[in-house]
Amino acid sequence: MDGFRVVRRQTPPGWVSFAVLPAALLIALVFCSLLLMIQDKSPVKAAVVLFQGGFGSLYALQDTMLKAIPIFLCSLGVSVAFRMKVWNIGAEGQFALGGVGATWAVLTFSGLPMPLMLCLMLLCAAVAGGLWGLIPGYLRLKFGLNEIISTLMLNYIGIEFMRYLVYGPWKDPGSMGFPMTGLFPEEAVFPEVLGYVHAGLLVCVVAAVAVYVFLQRTRLGFELCVSGENPRAARYARIPYGFLLMFVLALSGALAGMAGCVEVSATFNRLQPNLCTGYGYTAIVVAWLSRLRTPSIALFSVFVAGLLVGTDNLQVDMQVPAAFGGILEGFILLCVLAGQFFHSYTLVRMGRRQGGAA
Amino acid sequence: MMENRSHFPAEDGAKTAPALVRLENICKSYGPVQANRNICLEVHAGEILALLGENGAGKSTLMSILSGKSRQDSGTIFVDGIPAPFRSPHDALEAGIGMVYQHFMLVEAMTVTQNLLLGQAHGILNPKAMRERVLELAARYGFEIDPDAVISSLSMGERQRVEILKLLYRDCRVLILDEPTAVLTPPETKQLFSALRRMASDGKAIVFISHKMREVLDLATQISILRRGEIVDHFLRADVPGERELAERMVGRQMDAVVVQTPVAKGEVLLELDGATCGMAKDLRCRIRRGEVLAVVGVAGNGQRELVEMVTGAARPESGPDSVRILGRSWQEFVKQRPGRNGLVYIPEDRKGVATCPALDLLDNFLLTCRDEFQRFGFLDRRRAAAAAEGVMREYQVVADGLHASAGSLSGGNLQKMVLGREFYREPRLIVAENPTQGLDIGAMEEVWRRILAARSHAGVLLVTSDLREAVTLADTFAVMYRGRFIDVFSHTDTERLEAVGMMMAGIRFGEKEEERGRSGREA
Ligand SMILES: Nc1ncnc2c1ncn2[C@@H]1O[C@H](COP(=O)(O)OP(=O)(O)OP(=O)(O)O)[C@@H](O)[C@H]1O
Ligand SMILES: [Mg+2]
Repeated sequence: MDGFRVVRRQTPPGWVSFAVLPAALLIALVFCSLLLMIQDKSPVKAAVVLFQGGFGSLYALQDTMLKAIPIFLCSLGVSVAFRMKVWNIGAEGQFALGGVGATWAVLTFSGLPMPLMLCLMLLCAAVAGGLWGLIPGYLRLKFGLNEIISTLMLNYIGIEFMRYLVYGPWKDPGSMGFPMTGLFPEEAVFPEVLGYVHAGLLVCVVAAVAVYVFLQRTRLGFELCVSGENPRAARYARIPYGFLLMFVLALSGALAGMAGCVEVSATFNRLQPNLCTGYGYTAIVVAWLSRLRTPSIALFSVFVAGLLVGTDNLQVDMQVPAAFGGILEGFILLCVLAGQFFHSYTLVRMGRRQGGAA
Repeated sequence: MMENRSHFPAEDGAKTAPALVRLENICKSYGPVQANRNICLEVHAGEILALLGENGAGKSTLMSILSGKSRQDSGTIFVDGIPAPFRSPHDALEAGIGMVYQHFMLVEAMTVTQNLLLGQAHGILNPKAMRERVLELAARYGFEIDPDAVISSLSMGERQRVEILKLLYRDCRVLILDEPTAVLTPPETKQLFSALRRMASDGKAIVFISHKMREVLDLATQISILRRGEIVDHFLRADVPGERELAERMVGRQMDAVVVQTPVAKGEVLLELDGATCGMAKDLRCRIRRGEVLAVVGVAGNGQRELVEMVTGAARPESGPDSVRILGRSWQEFVKQRPGRNGLVYIPEDRKGVATCPALDLLDNFLLTCRDEFQRFGFLDRRRAAAAAEGVMREYQVVADGLHASAGSLSGGNLQKMVLGREFYREPRLIVAENPTQGLDIGAMEEVWRRILAARSHAGVLLVTSDLREAVTLADTFAVMYRGRFIDVFSHTDTERLEAVGMMMAGIRFGEKEEERGRSGREA
């Protein structure tokens, strides 16, 4: 019987790890080319447009960076929780609450100088996102509720809450009935620092360094890694699991909240209902792709953001349906994730055995 | 064929049938560590081969190559004289070679028969016929097993039988067992051995790894000795007269003097149980003073776990607040504020599952319980910790590829020495040790014993063990545990009771059945 069998790798894959990404991309592109050919569009042109749109020019790169910033922050957050094997998939809701927190700061305080105002907004966003993250932690400790369910459900509540605010109490009377707050004053908008990439980039850098130092140097970070690695050893070493669980969800939520703050301030300059476009979910994919390593999270955030921008471009340039962009993205991510399978497994041919027992 | 090592008795006579399995020049390295070096070995039908060697000698590595779980760097495995490259355990099974791992690989929620059905990749399953066959095999080898029992309800010994049945069911001709008796009670060990002998006489070959000389002498027909990855000796069971000689051939030098304890001066009371009750453990009474070792002996599962959990603060005693006094304080007070230094340390039985994180390096594993000592304002001072951990590794002669080797890559003995060094680093006053020498070679075992005896100068020891020899070597006081109770507590000088320990472990009180006591005379 011929065929292939899956076998666990005994040695680390070496060259495979470099080959996996390009190979996965290639496979995804072949699939998508087929889809395009069905629609009578040139796949080659599409590939060019996709790449050009995401990475091909300075403008493209800046657009990509703008999208990469919130993805990176959310992904950094969920990766901290994942490290402890706490499955926080609530970044989307925590992101929305961050936007709410930041907007509240803008609406409540005025006349502060810009640095103070921005820090205050970030703080409020972090607190709001963090508190939102604490809820599932509390539910799990108190009632044993699985955090996957509760974080997911809280996403819907969080987003609806944000929408309630912009449709109701926070709606700007001067917006001619559109559901949105008023435009933020100048001091509440992140300034541009690199081309038109805004200071959210600095937030990313600071957050990345802080998370790195936290995980590598602090006692709490060490305890977190141990808890994720071997819960029984953690109990043996009397590591406070419950506290860490709450802490990790709060930290995770705070980072997603800061992403929400950056997004309302720099991208929209106001709170509006279409704030949430799925960065919180994309962040989970990115965390997974990068295997929770901070530098890889940065790289994959840019990569995925580039894909998002590139497919937007594809829609405009080649008149493919909007859904096609989503399909393409999904395909590429699926292929890359599937490719990671080959980090720990390999296929062998099932041939006839030579050494034979009767 | 070109390889000719004098210590293969089978090669002398050309008339012998080809070996069931022959290993030729097997080499395997893990990074800089050469775990197996030019190993040549033959296994014939009807043989029981014991593989002996110190911790880290490469026994498990060799067996995992033979069973297809890992792959040799070079060298060939011959099955019935034909080269057989194994790419997975599946290949090895097809060739009739199967291994019983130390950590059983059974699905807990399924029944015995269902577990046997697993992995039958091809064809139509016939549970009924299978059940019949299981019963037949079990009867043949004297295994008592209910094919419909759910795994999670089985004892360790019974699970091991299921693992063996799995191999027998697939008609394995070579059975490999890695430290099979570590999880067994003495009667289970006896049953296992008689089943293995039966299999050998049926023409199967058995290869087993053990650190217990007595068991090797009891069961093996051939003995191979591994040292630093090489086979250095191979001889017949009949060639060695006794345990000590066998041990010396294994380590390749004169053994240090046998560990004997000399009593040290006793100090203040460090642990006091006065009617302590917790789950299965009931109404326990004893005290441990500084300089004293109290050995709790008994068959595993008689309340030892509850006792340990209570004393280490993981489980709350159900009896009154003063029924457990630790380091001079009541249980509540002790748990509320534990001293980091000069307090209580716990050496759990499960080194890789509980005492360490196998994936983390030795420094992180050192910090696991010592992190209080190396923190400042919430930050860990890893440099200072590294110096301390290196000191511990030197002092306890831990053989490892530096501080950044992962704990999982250490051999059992070295890992245990590291755990011991880590726990003793905080100069404890009360030590709770659970089977501290399980899986260790004789040298490491005696080293651990010496360390524990030396610790008596500043500490009291609660030793929970299922190894009577260990208890006899270390203890000042014995407590025999049966069905959750101490059925007797006595001093090591009470030789009459000491001789009756085996009976007491089976629940028969001292003096209860005079006529039966004579029989257990050879215990201890
Ligand atoms: N996965 C691994 N990665 C790195 N080194 C390993 C690995 N497995 C084993 N080693 C090393 O190979 C050597 C042999 O290990 P092995 O487990 O075969 O010893 P052993 O004889 O079974 O010892 P023990 O009696 O303690 O079980 C040791 O030095 C060990 O540190
Ligand atoms: Mg071993």
